[in-house]
Amino acid sequence: MSLLVIEHLTKQFGGLLAVNDCNLSVEVGEIHALIGPNGAGKTTLINQISGAQRPTKGRIRFDGHEITHLPQHQRVRLGLARTFQITNLFRSYTVLENLELAVQARSGSSFRFWSPVKREKALREEAEQIAEMLGLTPRNHTPAAQLSHGEQRQLEVGLALACKPKLLLLDEPMAGMGPEESGQMVELIDRLSQSVTILLVEHDMDAVFRLARRISVLVYGQVIASGPPEAIRANPEVHKAYLGDDPGGQHP
Amino acid sequence: MRYGPILLLLGLLLAFPPIASATGLEFYTGLLTKLMIFALAAGSLNLILGYGGMVSFGHAAYFGVGAYTAAILAREGVSSAWVIWPVALALSGLLAFLIGAVCLRTRGVYFIMITLAFAQMIYFLVVSFKQYGGEDGLRARRPDFGLFELSDTTLYYLTLAVLAAVLYGLYRLVNSRFGRVLQAIRENESRTAAIGYPVYRFQLVAFVIAGVLAGLAGVLMAHYTEYASPNLLAWQQSGHLMMMVILGGVGQFWGGVLGAATLLLVEEILQDLTLYWQLGVGLILLLVVLFAPRGLAGLLRRRAG
Ligand SMILES: Nc1ncnc2c1ncn2[C@@H]1O[C@H](COP(=O)(O)OP(=O)(O)OP(=O)(O)O)[C@@H](O)[C@H]1O
Ligand SMILES: [Mg+2]
Repeated sequence: MSLLVIEHLTKQFGGLLAVNDCNLSVEVGEIHALIGPNGAGKTTLINQISGAQRPTKGRIRFDGHEITHLPQHQRVRLGLARTFQITNLFRSYTVLENLELAVQARSGSSFRFWSPVKREKALREEAEQIAEMLGLTPRNHTPAAQLSHGEQRQLEVGLALACKPKLLLLDEPMAGMGPEESGQMVELIDRLSQSVTILLVEHDMDAVFRLARRISVLVYGQVIASGPPEAIRANPEVHKAYLGDDPGGQHP
Repeated sequence: MRYGPILLLLGLLLAFPPIASATGLEFYTGLLTKLMIFALAAGSLNLILGYGGMVSFGHAAYFGVGAYTAAILAREGVSSAWVIWPVALALSGLLAFLIGAVCLRTRGVYFIMITLAFAQMIYFLVVSFKQYGGEDGLRARRPDFGLFELSDTTLYYLTLAVLAAVLYGLYRLVNSRFGRVLQAIRENESRTAAIGYPVYRFQLVAFVIAGVLAGLAGVLMAHYTEYASPNLLAWQQSGHLMMMVILGGVGQFWGGVLGAATLLLVEEILQDLTLYWQLGVGLILLLVVLFAPRGLAGLLRRRAG
């Protein structure tokens, strides 16, 4: 069953077609990797799916709902959460404060003006559980800005996770990571995939081939190939457009 | 929040009018009333500017509309404060809703300019009503509260009570769920939206609350001076309120109060000493911006540890 279906999606910036008549579907339970060269339109696609930007043309359906014109917060409520390629945290807030904000967003109305939010134990406890799952518990009270790069990337995923999504949109979660940190992130994503469907944008081919059940290749805003990893690895067009001669190699 | 100093200050303010009148210093009761009114107005601006990160350069609009509503209703023969107050608050809130609904679709410098533009439109609109005094402003008798006579002294206590109640409400608000989201939007708008908050709605609600509170300050101002002046609506007044917030501490809880009190006192003192008092005010503001980016409230907080 398809959780996410994208049809003829197009996003135009002036004369540039960043996403060009793009079709893509993500099945329930899979890790679906989206790869493609720099500037292919991967982040723009994530922005359209999450609702941060409006598409020029096309449709997006999610979990049986037509969401093409839905505002971002309603998409989050339906179960769509995203991370950012460039770390985008509440930098002066601690790890727990970051996570509590995300937990609060989905637990009851936030148009409450009187009771102190710090007294809401339930928010704190859920935030602590998420921090623990991320392995960030020792850093619970550290401001996000003071975390290491790897920890910031984990919190980046944690904030999306705290929205309790059905579909997690990960935009290059390993960006800027060394091999050890990447290894931890692969392990985290693998664990998450047991309970949530994942659309993974990633340049790290080792990670992609270790994690993905299906891979789609985006070039100039269009999906030129989509299929299981072996098929993508063997596809000559993909090689020409993107993978180069070394299927396991890193993209620059 | 430490309650000791607050209770002390409240006690001093409560005891002030009788002491002042016994020692022939009634003038200062009036001055304190004015300080408290501006503390309320600056506090309301601090909610959106400081906590919400919305740099509104048109806050005088709501202040002035509150004052003018009170004065115009008085001129039209409405004498009960129980009518004047609700109408004035509702009108400033409605105005903030309409202006906010448009302005909050823009960001950055556009937001600053468009809030200023709307406020200027209100200014020229009000000044164009010749039957309400035009550029001369409008005299207005103080209204009738029924329970008590609105003398200089009771107005002082009324203002004190309103300010205390509003500050307590704001204190609850900035520490509530709503307040937390408002500050999150200031910290990182795109992430706040990405975790599922309708950013625009939160900002608009805060904008309206601030507008209503500024309108309330305007009503008190009209009672205080028994007069509604176009100056209350002018862009210089918006700038004045912004200076208070910056001086007192942007996004610091006591920023509005401290900034209003300090700026008005400094102006009062320098005006007596020199013709170039505005230069002095400018220098003080410059020093604060350079050396105390969190304003006077930030300095005090650091001193208190
Ligand atoms: N807001 C924008 N305005 C104009 N052009 C844009 C905008 N956002 C993206 N683009 C352009 O659209 C194209 C696709 O960009 P996008 O960021 O989606 O690529 P990407 O696949 O995520 O690349 P990378 O691998 O480098 O992250 C690029 O040419 C980019 O310059
Ligand atoms: Mg990208």
